[in-house]
Parts: sequence; structure tokens; C-alpha cells
Amino acid sequence: MAGEVRISYLKSHSKVRDEEGLEPRKFHSRGVKVPRNFRLLEELEEGQKGVGDGTVSWGLEDDEDMTLTRWTGMIIGPPRTIYENRIYSLKIECGPKYPEAPPFVRFVTKINMNGVNSSNGVVDPRAISVLAKWQNSYSIKVVLQELRRLMMSKENMKLPQPPEGQCYSN
Amino acid sequence: MAEPSGAETRPPIRVTVKTPKDKEEIVICDRASVKEFKEEISRKFKAQQDQLVLIFAGKILKDGDTLNQHGIKDGLTVHLVIKTPQKAQDPAVATASSPSTPDPASAPSTTPASPATPAQPSTSGSAISDAGSGSRRSSGGGPSPGAGEGPPSTTASILSGFGGILGLGSLGLGSANFMELQQQMQRQLMSNPEMLSQIMENPLVQDMMSNPDLMRHMIMANPQMQQLMERNPEISHMLNNPELMRQTMELARNPAMMQEMMRNQDRALSNLESIPGGYNALRRMYTDIQEPMFSAAREQFGNNPFSSLAGNSDSTSSQPLRTENREPLPNPWSPSPPTSQAPGSGGEGTGGSGTSQVHPTVSNPFGINAASLGSGMFNSPEMQALLQQISENPQLMQNVISAPYMRSMMQTLAQNPDFAAQMMVNVPLFAGNPQLQEQLRLQLPVFLQQVICLLFPATSHCLSLLALLQIQQGLQTLQTEVGQRGSAGSNTGSAPEAPTSSPATPATSSPTGASNAQQQLMQQMIQLLAGSGNSQVQTPEVRFQQQLEQLNSMGFINREANLQALIATGGDINAAIERLLGSQLS
Repeated sequence: MAGEVRISYLKSHSKVRDEEGLEPRKFHSRGVKVPRNFRLLEELEEGQKGVGDGTVSWGLEDDEDMTLTRWTGMIIGPPRTIYENRIYSLKIECGPKYPEAPPFVRFVTKINMNGVNSSNGVVDPRAISVLAKWQNSYSIKVVLQELRRLMMSKENMKLPQPPEGQCYSN
Repeated sequence: MAEPSGAETRPPIRVTVKTPKDKEEIVICDRASVKEFKEEISRKFKAQQDQLVLIFAGKILKDGDTLNQHGIKDGLTVHLVIKTPQKAQDPAVATASSPSTPDPASAPSTTPASPATPAQPSTSGSAISDAGSGSRRSSGGGPSPGAGEGPPSTTASILSGFGGILGLGSLGLGSANFMELQQQMQRQLMSNPEMLSQIMENPLVQDMMSNPDLMRHMIMANPQMQQLMERNPEISHMLNNPELMRQTMELARNPAMMQEMMRNQDRALSNLESIPGGYNALRRMYTDIQEPMFSAAREQFGNNPFSSLAGNSDSTSSQPLRTENREPLPNPWSPSPPTSQAPGSGGEGTGGSGTSQVHPTVSNPFGINAASLGSGMFNSPEMQALLQQISENPQLMQNVISAPYMRSMMQTLAQNPDFAAQMMVNVPLFAGNPQLQEQLRLQLPVFLQQVICLLFPATSHCLSLLALLQIQQGLQTLQTEVGQRGSAGSNTGSAPEAPTSSPATPATSSPTGASNAQQQLMQQMIQLLAGSGNSQVQTPEVRFQQQLEQLNSMGFINREANLQALIATGGDINAAIERLLGSQLS
């Protein structure tokens, strides 16, 4: 698997990675500008290992994608909200300037939420704080978790939702 | 494709399956299809296959795919969502606001619409395990593993205390809910978990429960709890953590969840036990936390119920204090020998057997009265036993009586002798003695008035005190007289009427065989008066003596203000201090 190759390459050649589960934050705290691919590979591994609380998930859309550009994400709707028990699928695109520039995020599963375009599911980067004030220490995980957190906010948690399972067409 | 060496034989891979609340390891062949994977998972998580939704790396795994196809390898994690047709599943714990814990998850979900049915044991199972683990984690990871386990068990104990406190909450507050009704409800609740959820849906109950301050106040009002909190600050932390409070209240609403949680905790505890040194930690935890909590919860029900069970011998001594109580606690509301109605051994803090017999003890001054007054309302032996326990705690009795509806009830009682007569009929003590009943019925109106006056401590203290003393003397003389004569007749009925020491002539003759019962009655009367007299002496100053001294030593020299604050907070020093400080600043 191509992904495996890349990861094992990383492991054997990266001096910083001396143990499993090295936080990407540690990288950045040294002020080192991490190459894009390194970062994305790390995120790939995290996504596969299920780092976090298990309410979001992310991974490459296509495992053969050498550019590590297209990602899919999943958010499990938080309980006690209208989104409860639903699974929202997203598409995330990490451009060439990632992680200096924020990724493009759009929902695949239909959702009614502030900051998300209701006709095509595109997440408005100006409306979501982590996208508007993006830092290079943020990651796909952060974006997904933030979106989930926003689902729980007062303004969103009771918005009427389209029937489950519908997707934006495009 | 780079594969790990030795993979020619396709060894099984270990995949972690994670729900928002739970985590399991599944071993499966990596050539397997997603469908087979789901079969394994449905077994481990006790869910239907079609309820399972698997997510890996942001993609939903379809049944027709293989694990290989998605790149699922040894050691990786797949996310699982268990869908249930009902609204209520995946109730998680804690809130996302605690960043320190690895699993902040989300707040517990309520099941407002549906009663907790056992139809989905899997989800409640996984929910509860997370409820248990979540509460563990949300308590911020206690300082030591032993203490860390403390909060979840105290959560359970608090819940059990809630079960008891819930009914009594109305006592202390004098709320619109009839105390008796709630008590009865509670009794039924114990036997019928579905009813519990229905009860919980009662908006009044929900209101009360949704107000963490209120709950906290109720808990803290119990002096034993205060002691406990002083000794174990973690508990006060826990009480002050609104998230945790809310979570426990949510749990209390959902009895099936509670049960599962208890079971899970028991499991976790037994796991703890197996760790070297774990047993000691458990022991410590039990003695430090659980025991006082149980006795605190029990006390609210009228002191040690075991006293009536074992004939005033302290039954806690019969059981080694340092081990968990593995026997089911007796049911205070069952008239027969104790049956375990509480889920789990440590589940409910209420214990004690319900004996409708009223032992003439010093601690039971109102014994007969409570039975006579209360039982008429609810002709159930359980109620009597309950009332007996309540009556053992004079403070509680005062609360009960000072509740406005009780007052009006008593007044109607006094005015309506027939009604009262009916009640008297039901008193077990008199039940076997029709003659006595007759006498009492005759004396009833006066008797009732006397009793009611006695029971209202609010009315002029001094006069009633004097009167009480006189009556007391009179009764004592009566008793000696009766003892000598061996046949008391209806002295008992006329006793309250005679403030002086002259023995009244028996109104009607009564068989000598009833003298024993009458003596008992006499004794109780005396104690009743003595007890009510004593309870009136305790002014707030006396009650808060210790706290006042403490406040004084801290530098709060305004005794008046201290007293006010203490009265307002019900003896809670910390709250009183805050109150005092707040008033000073303003």
C-alpha cells in the first residue's frame, strides 16, 4: 500500500519521530516549518489510528493519491442536538499551501448549519473561526472537531435538518 | 506493496473498534469482508448488525467491501456508531468542555420521551460503560486511582441518596407535592423501574432535578454529608461540578442506565480488586466515602433502620465494616422480612426493614402518633413503616409538620372526628383491641387537638413547654398508678386531658389482657411529650453552636450576622462564609 510505504519511509528517516504517537504539535513548537507532505502523512496516520475521542474520523479519499490533497472526513452528530446519531460526511481539500493555508471543507451529507452553504454544503471559511483564523498548527482533526463543536452551539443545535442520508449533488 | 514479513499466511489482525463511549479489540482475518467484521462486532457490542455503522479514515465501510480494500491493518482504529431506532442511544457522559480528558465526549442524553426499555441492552450497556468511565474521567482524574474510583461510586451513592432524597426533598421544602404521595411513589418505584422514568418526567421533578444548585443544597443540608465533604474534598468538588451533577441527574432519570452503570461499576470495582494493592484502595474508598454516604442517605430516612430490624442492636457491627456490603439492603417499605428490591448491592442507600410494629424506644417519641396520623391517609403498612422511620428523626418530623399542607390537613383532621376515627381504626396497635379503639374514638376530638397543639412547635414555646411538663408529670404518675393496678382501662385515652396528676377514672372497663398494650401506649405518650418538649428547646443558636464558634475563630465577630447566615445556609459553614463575605462586599 502506498500509504504504508510513505509512513515507513517517514519513520525510518525522521529523526524526530522516535516513538509512536508523537504529537505533531511538538514539531511546531520548535519553530520548524514542517513540509506539507510530512504533515499530511502524520495526519493520515492519526486518522487511521483513531486519535481523539472517536467522534470524528478522517482519511485520504484515495489511497493512491500521492499529493495527499483530497481527504474525506466524518463527523458523528453530537448527542442532545438535532444532529444526534447522524453521520456527516465531508470532503476536505488540502491545497499546496497547506498547512500555511487552511483547507477547503465541504459537507457531502446535507446539513443545516450556520456557516455551511445550504445548496452545496461548502463551509464558509469566514464563518468558521478556525478557518478564518487559521494557524499552521491546526489540522484536519481540529477542523472537524470544531465543526462538531459548532453543532452543539445554541444557534445550531436545534436547527431543523433535512432527512437523513441526503447528499449534496455535485 | 510493502507488507510486513510473514504475512503470507495472513495472520489475523487486531483492530480496535471505538464508539464514542467504548472501545473493543476485534481480532479478524485481514482478508475478511466488512460484513464478517460486523458480525464480530455485533457479537462483542451486543448490537444488531444492521445497527452498526463503521467508519474508517473518514469513510463509511460498506458491507461488500473488504478490510484490505480500505487499508485496515493491525493496530488501527475503526470508529463505530451504533444506530438504534429510538431517539435515545449513545448517551455519552461529561461535556466537551473539559479539555484535559482524552474523552470529553458530550453531555449525557436524556430519554425524555421514552421510558427506559430493556429493548436495547447493547446501547445502554455501552452507554453505561461510558457513563461510568466518563464520570471517572470527567472527575478530572482523581489524585489517586483509589480516589479516582471514588467519584463514580459516590455518583452511584449520590444517586441512591437522590432516590431517597427525592422523596424527602419535598419535606424539607414543603413543596406543593404531597410528601406522602411521593413516598408512596418511591416505594412503587423501587419495584417498578419504568415507573421511575415516568415519575422523572413529572415536570416538577424535572425542574427540581434540573437545578443543580437545588440538588446540591439538598445534599449539603444533610450534616453527615457535610462531615463527609469535609473529610473528602473530592466529594465537594464533585458536587460543585455542575456537569457532573447534571450527568448524575440525567442518570437518575434513566433507571435502566443506572442499573447498567451500577453493574459496570461493580465490574470495574472487581477489576480494581484484582490489581495488587487494589483491594486496599477499595477498602479505603469504601470506608471513607461509601459508608458515610450510605449512613447519610439512610439517616434521612430516619436513622438506622437496622435498629428496628435487629431489635436495637447495631447491625453494622455484625458485618465487617471494611468490606463492601454484598448482601442486598433490606427494603424499608416492605412489611415482610426484608427483600432486596434495590438494584445492586450498593445501589440504594435506603435500607431498613419495614416493621409496622412500633417499638417503644426513646428515639421513637412520635412512633405511635405518626402511625396513627399517617396511616389513616394511606392504608398501607409500608407507609406506616416509612412514617415510623421519619418520626425517628424529630427534625424531619418538624419539617414535615411545618409544611403548610400538613398543617391544614391536621386542622381538618381535628375538625373532622369521623375521619380521624377512621384513621385510628387502622393503627395496628389498636387494631387488636376494639375496646381501646372505642375509648379513643370517644376521646378523639380532644385528643387530637392536644396532639396537634403539641406538634406545632411554632406556637408559643413557653406556654406549651409548661403545659408539656405538667402533662409529662401527670403521665408519669399515671403510669406508676397503672403499673400498680395492673389494669389501666381507658386511662390512656384520658391521659392527655389530665394535666394534673390525678388519675382519671376509667371511662369504660377494659379487659386486663389489654394492659400491656396500654402500658406501651402510655410509655409512648410520655416519650412523645418528652420528645416534643426537647425538640423545641433547640433553637438555631444551639444547633449551630459549633459553627458559630468556628466562624468566630475565623474572625467573623458579628454573631447576629453569623447566625443569620448559618440559618440561611442550614448550617453549612462554607456557604455561610460566602454569604457573609458577599454581604460585606456589597
